[in-house]
Parts: sequence; C-alpha cells; structure tokens
Amino acid sequence: MIGQFIDGPLWTFSLAVFVIGVVWRIVTILMAGNRPDLSTPRGSASSGAIRTIFSRSVYERTAATRGRLLQIAGYLFHIGLFALLFFAKPHVDFYAERITGFGWATMPHWAFILSAELAFLGLLLLWIHRLLSPVTRLLSDLDDHLGSILVFLVMLTGCLALAQSFEALRLIHLLLAELLLIYFPFSKLMHTFTFVMSRGYTGATMGRKGVNA
Amino acid sequence: MGSMISISIPPGSLGAKAAAWSLLLLWLMLLPGQGLAESKQVKGLPPPAVLNPAADLWRDIRQRDMATTGTTQVRGVDSGVLINANGDKWRKFRMDQLIPIGGYLLLGMGLFLILFYLIRGKVRIAGGASDRKLPRYTSYERLIHWFIASIFIFLALTGLIILFGRPLLIPIFGKELFSVIASASKEGHNLMGPLFLVALILVFIKFVRRNIYQKGDMSWLLRGGGIIGKKHVPSNFFNMGEKSMFWMLIIVGSVIVASGLVLIFPIFGQGREWMELAHVGHAIGAILMITVIMGHIYIGTIGMEGAIEGMSTGYCDLNWAKEHHDYWASQMEKRGEAISNEAVNRFSDPDTNRSLGRELREAGE
Repeated sequence: MIGQFIDGPLWTFSLAVFVIGVVWRIVTILMAGNRPDLSTPRGSASSGAIRTIFSRSVYERTAATRGRLLQIAGYLFHIGLFALLFFAKPHVDFYAERITGFGWATMPHWAFILSAELAFLGLLLLWIHRLLSPVTRLLSDLDDHLGSILVFLVMLTGCLALAQSFEALRLIHLLLAELLLIYFPFSKLMHTFTFVMSRGYTGATMGRKGVNA
Repeated sequence: MGSMISISIPPGSLGAKAAAWSLLLLWLMLLPGQGLAESKQVKGLPPPAVLNPAADLWRDIRQRDMATTGTTQVRGVDSGVLINANGDKWRKFRMDQLIPIGGYLLLGMGLFLILFYLIRGKVRIAGGASDRKLPRYTSYERLIHWFIASIFIFLALTGLIILFGRPLLIPIFGKELFSVIASASKEGHNLMGPLFLVALILVFIKFVRRNIYQKGDMSWLLRGGGIIGKKHVPSNFFNMGEKSMFWMLIIVGSVIVASGLVLIFPIFGQGREWMELAHVGHAIGAILMITVIMGHIYIGTIGMEGAIEGMSTGYCDLNWAKEHHDYWASQMEKRGEAISNEAVNRFSDPDTNRSLGRELREAGE
C-alpha cells in the first residue's frame, strides 16, 4: 500500500514540484532584470562573465592552504554524485522506465562503486568541516544542514540498497529521493542550476568595470 | 481368465547368460543384508567387515586424510575442490568461539566502563577550569579525526549487525526484517570500508610524528595515567595511552583494512581458505578495536572533564593541559601560546588565533 504510494503518486508529485519549482525559480531570477548601468564600460561584460564562470572552479592560489583539501573534497563530491546520478545503471534504467523512455551508456560496476566512494568521501569531509569550522558554522543555516543531511541520506540508502534484493530498501531510497526533489527548489541546492547565472552576473559586472575578479 | 506366457531359453544362449549374471548380481546385492541378518542372529560376535567401495571416494571428497584437488573444466579458484574441509572448521570457530567470546568481550568492556564510572566518577580538572586556553588541534586535525570517527562508527555498527545479527536480532525483528537489515548492513559496510583506508592514511600522516614514544611515556604508564588514584602524572602532547591507541589503530586498522579488501575484492585469485583467514583476522581485529575505542569514547565524553574540548573546539583548558599533558602545556605556555577565553570566543578558530598570535609576537606586542 505505502509502497504503491511511494512508487506512484508521490513520485509524480515530487517530480512535478521539482520541475515546476526549478523553472519558477529560474524564471523569477531572469525576470528580475538588471538596473541600467549608465557608466562608460571599461571592459567587456561578456568576457568577464565567461571568465568568471570557469575561473571560480579553479583553485585560487591566494586562498589559504587548508582550503585546498576542501576544494578537492568539493570536486570529489560533485563529480562522484554527477556520475552516480546520470551514469549508474540502476538510475539510468529508472529514468528510461519512468521519464525518458530511453536509456544511455552506463558506467561499469566498479566505476559505479568508485563514484559512490568519492562522493561519500567528499560529502563527509565538507559536512564535517561545515560543522567544525567556526566560520562555516556561522555562515551555515538550517537549510545548509538539511540539504546536506537529505543528500547524505539519499546516498546512504542508495548504497544500502545496492544488492537490489529487497523492495523495502529500494522504497526507502526512493522516498528520500522524492523528499529531496520536493525540498530542492526551495533550498540552496538550487545552486545546481543557478551557479552559472550568479557567477556570470558577478563576472559581467566586474568585467564591465574592468576588474579581473 | 488370463493367459500365461512361457518363455523357453535355450541353454548356452545369450539370454541364458544374461539371466545367470542377473541372478549373480542380485545375490551379491543381497549379501550385506544377509550378513546383517546373520549378525543379528549371532549375538556377541563382531559384525563382519563389509567394504563400501564408495567410502574411499567420500573420504577423498571430504578431504579427511589430506587436501585433494580434482580436475574440472570449470574455471575458477578452488573449482576443483568439491568440499572445503577447512570451511567446516571455520564455520565452527565462527559460531562456537568467535561470536560468543567476541560478544562477551564487548559486553564485558561495556560493563567495565559502567562500573568504572560508578566507582571513579568523572575525572574533574583538579584546579577547576582556568581563564586561559591552549590551541590543541587545528581545523584539519579535527576534520580528519571526526572523519575517521564517523566512518568507524558506521562500520562498527554494520559489522556488529553482520556478526551478531543472527543470534541477537532475529529474535527481536524476525527473519524477514533481519534479512533486510543484514543486506543493507553488508552493502553499506562494503561500500564504506575503503573510506576507512583513506581516513587511516590521513590520520597516520598527520599524527605519526607526535605519537612516537619518548621520555616520560613509561613513567606515565607505570603510574596508571593518573586515572587510578589522584596523583598528578605529567605527559607529552599525547600520553602513553593515546600513543598506544594510535599505534593499535594503525597496526590493527591495517590488518582490518587488508583483510577487508581480501574479502570484498575476490578477484586476485584468493581461494576460500584465504577468505576464511581474512574473515577471522578482520573480525578479531575489529572486535579488539571496537573494545579499545569504547574506552576512548568513554574518556573523551563522560569519563573526563575537558577531554573532548580539544577535538570539538580546537582548544583545551590550560589547567586541563597542565594536569594531563604537563610537558606540552609548559612548553606552550613558555612560547606564549596561552590565549584568554575572551580571545578564543572572539576568533573561535585555532588556526586564525595561531597565525594572529604569531603575527603579534613577531611585531613584538
């Protein structure tokens, strides 16, 4: 009974909330527009935007040495999670059956496991650092922790269900993934989509002023 | 009303020979039964030795006398072995010794800690908390400590479910629910296991220098680390107990990791016996480590006032440091590393305070 609910109506509802919520958030950001800048441009806004979108992903040498581990952890987590989400066979099969109607190339099993290991390694290091460092602790709010906890639980239950032998474990994983989908548009997890816009906006503003930032 | 069919067999013909052989075979088959009947009749006499031609075959299969490997077209490690005799020994060891003794050891440690707490109580800072603190652990050191701690706790819980689940959890949850829990535990344990190796390497690199035994460690040990009795026992940055726990973590942890890798990656040609050996090493090492870590957690939390502060905030109380790590505390105080509680609250971050302190000292302030 509850299994059918998780597999059916709740899945449809959560997917709808996710899609509508994400589109709505992006549209409202784009519709907000910019204030007209009447000053004489001292550089190219477009090249500034493009530069910043990519340069923010590169390790900043002037940053403190201890930031290096966190940068590596960030890459491990995001790349691992991306690979898991889009190239793990159980996920691709699920998308093909429920959303797209077609599948695509998947990772071999060892790469699937390695991606999960890297994603866990990165997430745990980042989360523990968030809790321990006085700076990140002050900067973090409930949303940050809730997002981390939900992503962690989805990953954990996914790994517990790896044997694919028990329906209950699959349903727990799916339920948590659905809760994450519902929570996603209203949280900082939206940075998955908005990071390009925010970096681009900052880069364009600075580029127009002739500042290499 | 019926018809009778009579068959006449000419003597010396093929049919006659077949009939004669059949009768002989039937008589041979009845021989053991006849012997048994006779033995029942003649009480007191030993039964005649009846050779079973299959006995040798089964003795070889069960490998009673010596290890035998047959030939087969099936490719794979141990595919020529029909019955692994050591597997039975391993199973018996696991069920009759490992699980009960391991269980009693863990239970015993738990009871010991409860009793110890009831008798000794919480070890307080003798002079009370001071108004100054010492930076003890950097953010990175705390990060890797809590990283290995979280991985260890997860692995310990899932490992204990795998080892003790059948006798302990089936009576509570029933077989069906336990099978779900056991499967989840196994998958989680296998997936998180390799992360323990990463954590172990990070911890080793960061903490090895301060865990080399030095002068004063033995006297700390001989005086029971100060936890027994009320006398002051000085020590270095890490005391003998902490250093020994570090080396146990590294050595036993390496055994656990190596045996765990043998178990979850059966792709390097390791046979059943290697797997059994790895399992025994893995389980014994893990039980030993869990037992010791229980003591570590006890001291760090309810057992000693101020002990967890270093790992949670990065600072420790100056009086606590003088009481438990006197040699190190004196050096730090001489170098002017002691910071007021107010300054600690202002900056909170040991790394920031450390660099700020360095800058102030260099500026002559």
